[in-house]
Amino acid sequence: MPSNCRSGIMVFIFFVFYLTYLFVGALIFSSIERPEEIRLKDELRLLKNNFLNHSCVNSTSLEKFLEHVLSANKYGVSVLKNASVSTNWDFASSVFFASTLITTVGYGHTTPLSDGGKAFSIVFALLGVPFTMLVLTASVQRLMHLFTYWPMGVCQLRTGWSSKTVGTVHFVLLLVLVVVCFFMVPAAIFSAIEQTWTFLDSFYFCFISLCTIGLGDYVPGEQAGQTLRPLYKITVMVYLFVGLMAMLLVLRSLHKAADLHGLTSLFHLPKCDEEEEEEDQEPIIDSLESSEPDRAGLDHKQLTADTQPSYNSINR
Amino acid sequence: VFFPVAAPDLLDPKSATHNSKPRLSFSIKPIVLNSYEDSDSFTTVMKWKKVSAIFLLVVLYLIIGATVFKALEQPHESSQKLAILDGKLEFLSSHSCVNSTELEELVQQVVAALRAGVNPSGNYSNQTSIWDLSSSFFFAGTVITTIGFGNISPHTRGGRIFCIIYALLGIPLFGFLLAGVGDQLGTIFGKGIAKVEDIFVKWNVSQTKIRVISTVLFILFGCLLFVAIPAIIFQHIEGWSTLESIYFVVITLTTIGFGDFVAGGSETEYLDFYKPVVWFWILVGLAYFAAVLSMIGDWFRVISKKTKEEVGEFRAHAAEWTANVSAEFKETRRRLSVDIYDKLQRAASIKRKLSAELGLNPNQELTPGMRTLSVNFTDERERDAPQTLTKNDNLYLNGLSAQYASEEIAVIEHIK
Repeated sequence: MPSNCRSGIMVFIFFVFYLTYLFVGALIFSSIERPEEIRLKDELRLLKNNFLNHSCVNSTSLEKFLEHVLSANKYGVSVLKNASVSTNWDFASSVFFASTLITTVGYGHTTPLSDGGKAFSIVFALLGVPFTMLVLTASVQRLMHLFTYWPMGVCQLRTGWSSKTVGTVHFVLLLVLVVVCFFMVPAAIFSAIEQTWTFLDSFYFCFISLCTIGLGDYVPGEQAGQTLRPLYKITVMVYLFVGLMAMLLVLRSLHKAADLHGLTSLFHLPKCDEEEEEEDQEPIIDSLESSEPDRAGLDHKQLTADTQPSYNSINR
Repeated sequence: VFFPVAAPDLLDPKSATHNSKPRLSFSIKPIVLNSYEDSDSFTTVMKWKKVSAIFLLVVLYLIIGATVFKALEQPHESSQKLAILDGKLEFLSSHSCVNSTELEELVQQVVAALRAGVNPSGNYSNQTSIWDLSSSFFFAGTVITTIGFGNISPHTRGGRIFCIIYALLGIPLFGFLLAGVGDQLGTIFGKGIAKVEDIFVKWNVSQTKIRVISTVLFILFGCLLFVAIPAIIFQHIEGWSTLESIYFVVITLTTIGFGDFVAGGSETEYLDFYKPVVWFWILVGLAYFAAVLSMIGDWFRVISKKTKEEVGEFRAHAAEWTANVSAEFKETRRRLSVDIYDKLQRAASIKRKLSAELGLNPNQELTPGMRTLSVNFTDERERDAPQTLTKNDNLYLNGLSAQYASEEIAVIEHIK
């Protein structure tokens, strides 16, 4: 169908533009932060040399040293000699940082040190976060067709169960699938790659990241002697995005299942709309006529409880 | 111009991750729909009682979480502290000659301690635990709002497992609360805006301008209340620079939460109510930021839609133009072909008549001489037709017999 093709192309262009945004952000971060980081490192090296020159060390200089270690650690700069993490702001790491910024995970293992970096982070986040949410919800909309509506329809046809049962069964299956694919398997992989992580640690990391909490106590790719570090970081970033989409998908399926069981009306919550899925399928020429009623419809929709929740409303 | 901006949807920025369910209309409602506003807002907005009940539930949940975290983490923390103290004393006793390996060991210990959240410098007697009740409360808050600063994090196995379960339940719960708070905020703000809009309507300002002004007011007022004032307070209490305070506010309220700056995270003595007030500010500020971010998202959406529309319009016009042109072309072709057909028919009939007159074979080709004769013939006949009518019997058209002439007259009369 030509309109499907068209909207698919638009999504692809959107996606490419989004990747560009990410890369531009990474470049800017990299160029702003590297000098500052180098400066801080030099200071630390100087401090260490001075310490070593002391034939006899007293507590005050030790305290000073420790203070510096503390503040350096806050910013992710390692004081250890054999730290092969040469820089936290090479390109792959900057991309990773930018992605943690706009997915709002925010580990904090590397943070902008300079004033320019901080100011830029503010702007980058204010634009990037809604952008990301838009992308995620738009992708999930399409994925819903593939993973939820179509299988549910087929299942209903084949087995003849009520839509309620189909909804529940489908949700449970999807949940199990997501937990295995996005939690168990990556946790196993991480615990194999990261030497100091146990399986529980890796699972904890996966969970904390995919909920976008991002405490930052575990960050992959930070250990010394990590081979193919840039590739690893990029892979983790991809995992983050796809995992977020999967979480969104599960949530929407849950919403749909709850709708079918009448739970959402019970709790006075908005329903999972299917009509909005059709909007993107409309041929472009029709959008001229539909924009007018859309406007009025949107205003009215604002006033009722059944308006589409969250960033999904963006899709109207 | 469609201004979705004027009716920003309030929503949880983390709805993408944990729930797409609760959501409310934080609408700066246009004048036209004012009559709907009050009645609808009662039904659409979650009731105040419901909201406060959920609020209490969340607070209870946080207190429970804080107690559990404290119970799990504090013993571990104490043992870590003791280990560090021992290490330090050892170092001080062997202060005579420090070589790099010893230093490395020390530093490694220090870094490990830091990762456990312990500050290796300073006096331990005065140091407050990072897992005391208010800090644990704060930590639980950062987990369920998905901010996740990370300056404090669980280090025991039990703590981590509990953290996972806690987050699984707490995040949707917080989502509900946020929805409720946002609704309340929206109603309050919407009423204020409606009053302002009333004034503007009296001044006969256009609808679009009203919406623009509403949006601007919303942004300014919100920024003042949730960004500027807290930033100044943080600057004062925490000793950060202006940029750092604003940076902290933005990073926190978008729930990114790096943790390099944390309100209430340093060693200074805070007032007891400082941390809870900060948490409350986070709650309300999150609702505001969700609205702002969704507004920005709506702008993106509108821009993409407008571009789509414009492209669509252009395409529609192009299609129309092409259709018109081809239709005209077809019409012209049709007319032309009809014309040609008519002319051919006339030529054929003239040929027949001429050949009949001249006694020629109707199928014989007309020579050019005969053709001109026929042309003149027809012309003269047409010219003379009215004249011949006036004469009664003596109709003498050039070379025509009387009988034929009368036929012609009959035809001409018929035509007339």
